[in-house]
Amino acid sequence: MTRDLNRRTLLKAALGSAGLSALGSLPAFAQDARVRLYWWGSKERADRTLKAVSLYQERNPNVKIDGETLAWGDYWPRLATQAAGRNAPDLIQMDYRYVAEYARRGALLPLDEFLGKSLDISDFDKASLDSCKVDGKLYGINIGNNSNALIYNKAAFQKAGVAEPIDVTWDKFFELAAAVTKAHNGEYFGTSDASAEEVAFENWLRQRGKALYTEDGKLGLDEKDAADWFAMWAKARETKACPPADLQALDKNNIETNLLTQGRAACAFNHSNQYVGYQVLNKNPLGITMYPQGAGPNPGHYLKPSMMWSIYARSKVAEPAVKFANFTVKDVDGAKLLGVERGVPASPKVREAVSAELDAQGKLVVDFISHVTPKVGPIPPAPPKGAGEIQTMLRRISEQVGFGRMSTADGGKQYVSEAQAILSRA
Amino acid sequence: MTTTAQIPLTISEPEKRSKRRGELSRALVSYSFLAPWLIGFLGLTLGPTLASLYLSFTNFDLLQDPQFIGTANYQRIVTNDVKFWHSMQVTFTYVILAVPLKLAFALGLAMVLNRGIAGLPLYRALFYLPSLLGASVAIAVLWRQLFAKDGLVNVALALFGIDGPSWISDPNYSLYTLVLLSIWQFGSPMIIFLAGLRQIPPDVYEAASIDGANKMQQFVKITLPLLTPVIFFNGIVQTIDAFKAFTPAFIISEGTGGPIDSTLFYTLYLYQEGFAYFRMGYASALAWILLIIIACFTAFSFLTSRYWVHYND
Repeated sequence: MTRDLNRRTLLKAALGSAGLSALGSLPAFAQDARVRLYWWGSKERADRTLKAVSLYQERNPNVKIDGETLAWGDYWPRLATQAAGRNAPDLIQMDYRYVAEYARRGALLPLDEFLGKSLDISDFDKASLDSCKVDGKLYGINIGNNSNALIYNKAAFQKAGVAEPIDVTWDKFFELAAAVTKAHNGEYFGTSDASAEEVAFENWLRQRGKALYTEDGKLGLDEKDAADWFAMWAKARETKACPPADLQALDKNNIETNLLTQGRAACAFNHSNQYVGYQVLNKNPLGITMYPQGAGPNPGHYLKPSMMWSIYARSKVAEPAVKFANFTVKDVDGAKLLGVERGVPASPKVREAVSAELDAQGKLVVDFISHVTPKVGPIPPAPPKGAGEIQTMLRRISEQVGFGRMSTADGGKQYVSEAQAILSRA
Repeated sequence: MTTTAQIPLTISEPEKRSKRRGELSRALVSYSFLAPWLIGFLGLTLGPTLASLYLSFTNFDLLQDPQFIGTANYQRIVTNDVKFWHSMQVTFTYVILAVPLKLAFALGLAMVLNRGIAGLPLYRALFYLPSLLGASVAIAVLWRQLFAKDGLVNVALALFGIDGPSWISDPNYSLYTLVLLSIWQFGSPMIIFLAGLRQIPPDVYEAASIDGANKMQQFVKITLPLLTPVIFFNGIVQTIDAFKAFTPAFIISEGTGGPIDSTLFYTLYLYQEGFAYFRMGYASALAWILLIIIACFTAFSFLTSRYWVHYND
């Protein structure tokens, strides 16, 4: 048999198969679309996304979707570089913080022309649609709504015999947290130090009737606000409600290194959709509740798109990309695979179908959003240019105060003066 | 020289042409062998370098076309940028500590290995290993675990009753753990030192010991002077590397340069400006300043080398 397989027959066979495949692939080539899909997030999110991708490819054999995923910190530099090289991915997971910046620079495609055709999101409520608009045009498809959420280790509170921090004021919260630390002999802390977390800072500011930024992109707080914030956490550090600065500095602003996941503290200040990701990495059952509340009636919480799908302005496969995005937010099968890990779906029909099949954790997230919805305030305006730099700066100043290199009052002054310098430069 | 002497003074035209053709085809061959590197150098190094020189005079946010703004970027860097001076200070501290310590460590080990111990190739390979791994992400991650509050280093210190700090997350120590990481990658200068030590003829030492010179005198009067060309080479290469250090700080602080900017290397600051805050023009200007600093340092080293580097010939 091996004799027959000489050079000539091999060549013939190769030519034949090449000819066949050329015949077969030519008509298909015209329809085949390769869509580059890009998102940030944990492994849990990657698993869910890739499942949705393979189901979609099964149903649409002529579409090939290539997924790329990175952690939040690496995600944005990479996207900016690719956009500069005019080579950004077709379908981009976008954040509320950046959508205006990218849209106004012409990097995103307005999606209005797809509405009612390949993009069927007419049953989204107005708020879910408006939060994805920039200057009146739709630049994002809401993947799910979320809100600020305090995620906590139930067992740590139970073991300490301390009440869980559900709907409490800040004072009460720190009292409970200090009690947890005490019950664990000071080796495990009641809460992580959230003085560097901009989400927590913003929520707290809104309770005071202030904001990070005003409608016209100016700073929405003064030195005293920032100083009071640092002072509140300095006191928490003193009472050991939260860990000392050198322990807190191990937190690199992601789920994996958060002190809750690291088994060092019982509470993490985060967003409701991240509950799913936290639970995957935590052995103990986690609870989810609202951030501590202020003395006044002002709500700190608001509902926002936890993320959206945007299309790159120069994409050659915008139509197939929109169709896949539509599949994940409007097709029940696709949406079920994503679950509520990216937030609670905006479409009522999909939300109902997804909720019906959720596991206990997913149900908790949906219930949490229903619980928060009547208590929220309006969504703040999209942050101005330079907001990302200010977020990094908050972390640095909070560390300076935490390590005792700066007084809380100086921290407040420093925050305001640096933020103003950054805003005027941007 | 001997061949030209045999050629008659006047060369006939055809001969000249064929000679020129021979030279040309030889040059063509050598250039075509060089081509892969040459294309890479022109397209991937020189091209982008020149492009960044242009960008350093512009305002460029990556998404929109760059606008020419003259020397405004440079003016701001020098007159109105606290972080520039801070990151310079961090980088210089790192260079000044890491380079001499690493070289001393590498030389020390090379001298031990040079004594002709058994299993030399094995030790050489083992000691070289960290250099191969050193720039990698995995090692930086390992470093983060070793020097954490409850990391291996503090476990070891606890045996002696020392309660170590959280080395990498305490701004008082974080930079020094990076210096240590750099010293640990002593392999490549060590190999070069070892080769240099082998070049020193043993009879020089023999003569010295007959004359009654002790080990220390031999080291100062023979080893060091004869090794200066190698020290010079290693010093320049390591210094340039240290100025450009990026990966360890980036991984250990996850790109923030924290805590409190204590590991904000110049390269990390440059990276933040360009890729995190969309100021590619400004970042390009920062990159050119670093290039000039490194060039000045190298030129200075070469100019002074004639006073302290001794070549054997």
